[in-house]
Amino acid sequence: MSVSDPRLPYLWVFGMAAGFTLQRSRFCFASGFRDLYLFGSGRIMKGILVGVAVATLGFAVIMRNAVPFPSFGALPPEAHVLPVGVTTILGGLLFGVGMVLAGGCISGSLFRSAEGYVGSWVAIAGAIIGLGAMSQTWNWWWSLALAAEPKLWLPALFNLGYGGAVLLTLACVFVAYLLVVWWEARTGVVPVKSTPDPRPEVTFTQRLMATARRIFVKGWSPVVGGAVLGGLNILMYSVHMPWGLTGELSRWANSLMTSVGAEPPVALGLSAIGGCAARASEATGFFSHTFAVTVGLLAGALVAALFANEFKLRFPRTARRYFQSLAGGLLMGYGAGLAIGCTIGAFFSSIASLSVSGWLFGAALFAGALLGTKVIQRIA
Amino acid sequence: MRIDVRGEVCPYPMLKAVEAMKKLKGGDEIVVITDHAPCLETIPPQAIRYGYDCEIDQTGSPEWTIKLRPKVLAR
Repeated sequence: MSVSDPRLPYLWVFGMAAGFTLQRSRFCFASGFRDLYLFGSGRIMKGILVGVAVATLGFAVIMRNAVPFPSFGALPPEAHVLPVGVTTILGGLLFGVGMVLAGGCISGSLFRSAEGYVGSWVAIAGAIIGLGAMSQTWNWWWSLALAAEPKLWLPALFNLGYGGAVLLTLACVFVAYLLVVWWEARTGVVPVKSTPDPRPEVTFTQRLMATARRIFVKGWSPVVGGAVLGGLNILMYSVHMPWGLTGELSRWANSLMTSVGAEPPVALGLSAIGGCAARASEATGFFSHTFAVTVGLLAGALVAALFANEFKLRFPRTARRYFQSLAGGLLMGYGAGLAIGCTIGAFFSSIASLSVSGWLFGAALFAGALLGTKVIQRIA
Repeated sequence: MRIDVRGEVCPYPMLKAVEAMKKLKGGDEIVVITDHAPCLETIPPQAIRYGYDCEIDQTGSPEWTIKLRPKVLAR
């Protein structure tokens, strides 16, 4: 990849747009899972599910163009079809606990970092250390479990084909959505309608200003955010690869360790895995695709925060919170390394890739987030 | 009662507001001061649950005060 790579400007634009959308809709996967337990709110989880459904439709078209006959055994290049097994579950558990402890997953901590949350900087630093620890221990996990874990891709299973796999995925998303609504009804959480803007909206200029305020100042609803993120994920995949963040962070960890003489061993099996792990082994640099979507996210979120006047350096008030963010980050990093992706790469992009791994990782995230919620309720 | 949760992120502003509403049992007004925008979405539904009216004022950028008034007192 070089400066002249024609795909690079697109990925910068999509990466920045994703950061902008995350900040505007306050799209936080950690709270999506945690708030279901903590106070029975499925607001953000509904947005996540809508995003997954949108991305699934687009991904299927892209994958179908690459691999028209899924039953022949070839997987579409770049699709996030990841190993299914004990590493998926363990990775999801660690990540689920970590994201609740840190108060944000990888994408959440990145956009919060850009908003000036110092605690999120600590969480990202922790995640980079965790990913580095995984690079050092990857080969152990590989021979223990990863090498034997199958990559289950729905279109190639039970003669489902693309049509069957998409229908099955959408049906599962729909059932999950119904479960969230049922859960909300059970817990009795009441959605609060936002108060209408008192400023008049009659003339052309007033209407234009009101629209601008809706986009740049007021928060978007999570469902809108999820749908936009689903669309952006499709665009990223149409240019090169599905959305993922931990590949770039792994590369930072690896080059940091190399620079201090603690180069991680050559990771076994990466070329056969794909997803964020495959990215981790590539050379890093300003002109890489993962750099564009990861750092682009920070830039987009910063722009959004500045427009909305929501940028501020915010320091955690107690030493305990710094430890909490660091520990959460470490768990997230190691878990994401093991599961080969975070809530974006191993969940969002993986379910949309019609991969079984995304669902299993999601289920493990649920369990991990429940554990994490129990923990934070004890830390005042 | 005044709760200053500036610097705290989700879910702590909401948890602390809920803790206060539970403790005061509608006996007093609560003022939450925050610089974390997401809790503008998470605190109001809880206020309804515990019988409080909720009023949000933007007092800085970004800073808000959320006034929680017991419905019983307002009547």
